[in-house]
Amino acid sequence: MPSVSRLLDLMGPAGLIVQALLASLAAVVGLLAFILLRRGARRVYFWRRDRRVIEVRAEWDAIVDGSIPPKKWLLSRMSREIVEGILLDRLEVASPKETSALLQCLRFSGLLDSRIHEARIWRGWRRHKALLALGRMRVPEAIPALAEGLDDPEEECRIAATRGLGRLGLPRGAVPLLERVSRGKLEVPSSLLLDALINNCRATPALTLTFLMKSVESARPLLARVLGEIATPDLDEDLLLLASDELSEVRASAARALSCARPDLAVSILAGLVDDEEWFVRLRAVVALGELEDPRTIPILLHGLCDRNRQVRIRSACGLSRLKNHLEDILCLALKTQDAYAIQELVSELERSGGIFELVTALGDPRRRAKAEAALLAALRGGCRRILLDLVLNHENWRTRGMLARLLGRSSDPELHKLMELFDSPGLPVRKRRVLRWLKRQLAPAQASLSQAVKVVA
Amino acid sequence: MIGSLVQWANTLLFFYYLACNLIYLRLLVAAIKASVNQNRRQKTAWLDRVRRSPLTPPISLLVPAHNEELSIVESVRSLLRLDYPEFEVIVTNDGSKDGTLSQLVQEFQLTRSDYLYLPQIETKPVRGIYLSRTERRLVVVDKQAGGSKSDAINAAMNLASKPYVCVVDADSMLESDGLLRIMAPVVNDPDRVVAAGGIVRVINGSRVKNGSVGDVRLPWGFLEMMQVEEYLRAFLIGREGWNAFNMLLIISGAFGVFRTDLCKHLGGFRRGAIGEDLDLVVRMHRHLREQNQRYRVHFIADPVCWTEVPSTFKSLGNQRARWHNGLAECLWHNRCMLFNKRYGRIGCVAVPYMWLFELLAPIVECLGWVSIAVAAFLGLLSRRFFIQFLLFGYVFSTLISMGSVLIEEMTYRRYNNWRDLARLICFCFLENFPYKQIHTVWRLRGIWQYLKGCHTWTKIERVGLGESPKPSTAAS
Repeated sequence: MPSVSRLLDLMGPAGLIVQALLASLAAVVGLLAFILLRRGARRVYFWRRDRRVIEVRAEWDAIVDGSIPPKKWLLSRMSREIVEGILLDRLEVASPKETSALLQCLRFSGLLDSRIHEARIWRGWRRHKALLALGRMRVPEAIPALAEGLDDPEEECRIAATRGLGRLGLPRGAVPLLERVSRGKLEVPSSLLLDALINNCRATPALTLTFLMKSVESARPLLARVLGEIATPDLDEDLLLLASDELSEVRASAARALSCARPDLAVSILAGLVDDEEWFVRLRAVVALGELEDPRTIPILLHGLCDRNRQVRIRSACGLSRLKNHLEDILCLALKTQDAYAIQELVSELERSGGIFELVTALGDPRRRAKAEAALLAALRGGCRRILLDLVLNHENWRTRGMLARLLGRSSDPELHKLMELFDSPGLPVRKRRVLRWLKRQLAPAQASLSQAVKVVA
Repeated sequence: MIGSLVQWANTLLFFYYLACNLIYLRLLVAAIKASVNQNRRQKTAWLDRVRRSPLTPPISLLVPAHNEELSIVESVRSLLRLDYPEFEVIVTNDGSKDGTLSQLVQEFQLTRSDYLYLPQIETKPVRGIYLSRTERRLVVVDKQAGGSKSDAINAAMNLASKPYVCVVDADSMLESDGLLRIMAPVVNDPDRVVAAGGIVRVINGSRVKNGSVGDVRLPWGFLEMMQVEEYLRAFLIGREGWNAFNMLLIISGAFGVFRTDLCKHLGGFRRGAIGEDLDLVVRMHRHLREQNQRYRVHFIADPVCWTEVPSTFKSLGNQRARWHNGLAECLWHNRCMLFNKRYGRIGCVAVPYMWLFELLAPIVECLGWVSIAVAAFLGLLSRRFFIQFLLFGYVFSTLISMGSVLIEEMTYRRYNNWRDLARLICFCFLENFPYKQIHTVWRLRGIWQYLKGCHTWTKIERVGLGESPKPSTAAS
């Protein structure tokens, strides 16, 4: 009988196909076996692990206080991973007393030292794991090892080190990051870096400012952004300098930071930034003004409402809608601008944010009724009609419906009269049709005078 | 003469299949490596950072809806429950003839408003914009039917005010942390990532309760199972593989995140496009390459969108014909990119692949059968060679399908049940015969529809998202 290889040679090109076929069959069988064996092995592994977890949890207090010496569980890889996992999970939610006990356990058991050693010696995914574990421990002793991780050639390790340092929440943890960032020597995703710096520098924003002043130009926007998130009122004068920086990103961050500054200073600086040439600086400025919720910001936000950039207009409208006690003045002033886009943007925002609903509800409160009525009439003149008509017909409170209907009846708005034709449909309930008819009668004189005016013009 | 022609054709076909299989094998290897790395990263991912970070950008969720009264309320409720710091939901009622709008009005206490609508992208007329008294994040746009999903999405996009838009189908269901997961690459690299897509999985057979998928199970129907296999292969190997080489040409329209300003600059989703998701991403590549900008289109298999797949031959056939019609239309519309060095690896590798091994594949397959038949008739066909080649093709394709099951097992493991695993493996052997052949016929129909100029949407029958039917005792 000829050998297999001789047979294949005799087949010619078909032999190649047979070889490929056999290889594919072997691969399929191999894959199948791998999938099934792997699932079986995982099942056994997790069964053993679950049993060990139960044992560890039963002895937990003894492990933490050292009654069970570390060498009993440190030498078994599974036990060590379980103990470390539980320790790190508990550290996330522990009270201060429990935290000190857990950290003590980390130290005397040698877990901390072994992870520091691994982070320094190993490479690749093993170093990555060690750095992540160190980060979760949140101990100052880990800072040097994490700082070394920032210089790793692999991005995943640098990310792990940055995350680790970010979790510390200590200014000391920010220093290695700031040193490298200010020299432009740290390549990690910017959002991760920002989060890490924000978390560490929150208590001492002046630290970020120090590095910002001496950093390379490419790093200044990032550091300014950090400052924007963590600024405190005592940085007012420094923010004044940043607000006139030549880099637009720095100015934008300064605008962001000013939302937590003293209102009198913030308003004057932000008023200047609202006229900046860059749209995102203006945007940041109006957002910060909105967050101040100060009536002095009204004229500046109205100026922002007339901006050529739609995002700036939208956020100005958001800021204005937050000043709920001044809506009447805001709406009247907005109408005076005679900027149709600005007025519509404001009215849209009031509709979207529920400001109109609140004003309508306020009609039922005798103390707020007069202001609410004035604001609603101004909103009506600004183009807010559909939603008011809908509320006249559908508001759950009958008294509110009545007051709103009388208000609309007094408004003499001819556009409202035309709009009611759209609401009046054959399927409408009798009660609602009556209300609409009553409103039409109230608004009829206004409609007649408009028709007359149109005829005269024609 | 005929004989040499036939032999030449057969040789060409042989090399065509060899190239196709080698490409898929390469994609499989790249996908396995990328999936394992991604899984490692996900094990240590800190989603809480994305949730709590002040840098996480807000999103506008765009939900086009046409005759979705069965599921629209549940879909919108589940979207509003998503775990993400800041987002808005904009639903477009695209000229529905059923009670889609009335269901929404009743459920969310919508009132018609004078909300400012600036149509930066041209769409069919908008009849009204509705705001909710109870849910501030919800806006509903009522418009005339546009005849396509693109028109509905563009109407919603005109209202979008957030820097990123996420298109979600009204009949799909996102997992609660889906937005956090899909935005993770965007948050990590906001300057470069312009689009990100998640995986679409088949919900048929799974139990849905309170707007979320409780028990993930495989469907019982043959067609639905085939689609499970297909989706696993297409996403876990195809998309993951192309993503590894930074040559991803499509983000699924059921669940994709795009940068709003870029979308609006490109005119949104093209109205004439049937495969609007593919078309938008290809146009993004085209535009950004022309501008010489550094960018990335990302696929992550981690965030899941659950969708109901067709369960009848008719519906599935219509859907696949439409997809192939859309593919043809998109590729033809962007034909200037083909083998054009200006578009880098997209123009020189990804687009030619789509032309040769996706669009023309059903034609090549048919020609192959004809050629084999002629060769057999002329006595030029070696029977042994032919059978061996067929077997090899079948086994190799099964290997690829099993590769997707392997990736699923090593990483996401959604189907934990041993019975489901066994069924997944068994259906790997059925995918390449007879399902693939039926699929070829549908794709040919799609090409024929494209050549005829037929660009209408056909209705897919849906059962609705809800408690899934239990299998019969005979099946269990």
